[in-house]
Amino acid sequence: MSVRLRLVVLILALLALAPAVAHVALALPGFGAPISPYGQAVNALLPELRHVTNMVAAVNFDVRGIDSLGEECMLLCAVTGATVLLRGARGESGAERAGHVPGRPVIPRADATVLTCRIAATLTLLLGLSVVLHGMTTPGGGFQGGVIIASGLLLLYLGEGYAVWRALVRGPVLALLEGGGALLYVLAAALPLAMGRPALENILPLGTLKDLYSGGLMIVVNAAVALSVTGSFGLLLLEFMEETRAPDHDSVPDEEGR
Amino acid sequence: MTWLVAGLLILAALSGLLVVITRDPRRQVYALAGNGLVLGLLFLALEAPDVALSEIAVGTAVTPFLFLVALAAIATDRVGR
Amino acid sequence: MSALPWFVAAWLFGIGLYGLATSRHAVHLVGCLTVCQSATYVLLLGLGFVDGAGPPIFYDHPPGTPAVDPIVQALVLTDIVVGAAVSALLLAVAVQVQKRRHTLDPQVLRPLRPPESTPERSSR
Repeated sequence: MSVRLRLVVLILALLALAPAVAHVALALPGFGAPISPYGQAVNALLPELRHVTNMVAAVNFDVRGIDSLGEECMLLCAVTGATVLLRGARGESGAERAGHVPGRPVIPRADATVLTCRIAATLTLLLGLSVVLHGMTTPGGGFQGGVIIASGLLLLYLGEGYAVWRALVRGPVLALLEGGGALLYVLAAALPLAMGRPALENILPLGTLKDLYSGGLMIVVNAAVALSVTGSFGLLLLEFMEETRAPDHDSVPDEEGR
Repeated sequence: MTWLVAGLLILAALSGLLVVITRDPRRQVYALAGNGLVLGLLFLALEAPDVALSEIAVGTAVTPFLFLVALAAIATDRVGR
Repeated sequence: MSALPWFVAAWLFGIGLYGLATSRHAVHLVGCLTVCQSATYVLLLGLGFVDGAGPPIFYDHPPGTPAVDPIVQALVLTDIVVGAAVSALLLAVAVQVQKRRHTLDPQVLRPLRPPESTPERSSR
């Protein structure tokens, strides 16, 4: 199908849908009016029931904990798929040299860049840890903190270059973090089951409101998600970076056998 | 609705448009990062600090970097043959 | 005016679809898909917003103060992180397409067919 034909089909489809979309948009309650009683119920009840102050974390790790376990598995599957796709065609061996496009100048890093990156990477890793640890009280939690820690790994690459980065960031460690986090989540869900209670029921002491230890089992789940997200995104960054390394000769031939 | 939220919504619509009409993938990366930043600020204005934190970390740092590295891998492959 | 967020969400989804339909580069296509995704974030967070309410975090203000809907925020939060991983999976597919077919233009890519003309071709 040519681009023009596709565009015509798309415009026809959008024209057919537009009245329906406009009707729905105008029929929805106006912006700023509460539409769901559940959210307000969560806000009213959970601080007392679960001793946590961050309602979003409470919803993620307790109220819809099983759903988050599903999301966790999606994350695991997507990252495993990307890793298999990339590593499967590239081979396991690791060249310690970054690839280079000929004709493009290689500019050495300035000392200022290296220093800034070392400081910023440390601060980013600390910020990520802090965001994870305070997930139950202030904005944050395993999902955000894990991504922040993984983006700190980027700063390490920017400051230290490819070879040092490859020596610092180890694929098996990241894979272990990722799988271990998911396993910890499953264990946290299954342990109450083994005790004859509903899955993910809070079996730990709830702790005190606004304390670092508040929320009981949610802390374990939060830590599991943090480990898993850190491992996942670290592994993704590593696998994509590996794609740009200097080519070696054990890669799989393509469709034409080249 | 405050003017802040309305302005950020319009900005989000425009930056989304920019991502789509930037046809060169290398430039699109920057449009994508800008879109992520605008969305993060919008979520902050919508009283969702958790989501804003997540969107800023993912949308302005990790996703654009993955795009850049994927483009670098593609360029390496094009040069290699 | 009060329907603006819904129209922005519809616009983002529509413009993302336009990009998907007319894209000539697989990496550009993944970028358009993230625009489509962002439409759902705007819609969900817009639905959860309550006028004059604070964030659903009761650290600085006591429980009971008006707050916006935490459930849609929890949905969007996990979706952003998982969506990024799915984008990475699609980018990995794009890198493999480039390696095996030497093009990323969806117009040029032909469906996979069993090898007929070149029997010496690698079976992989």
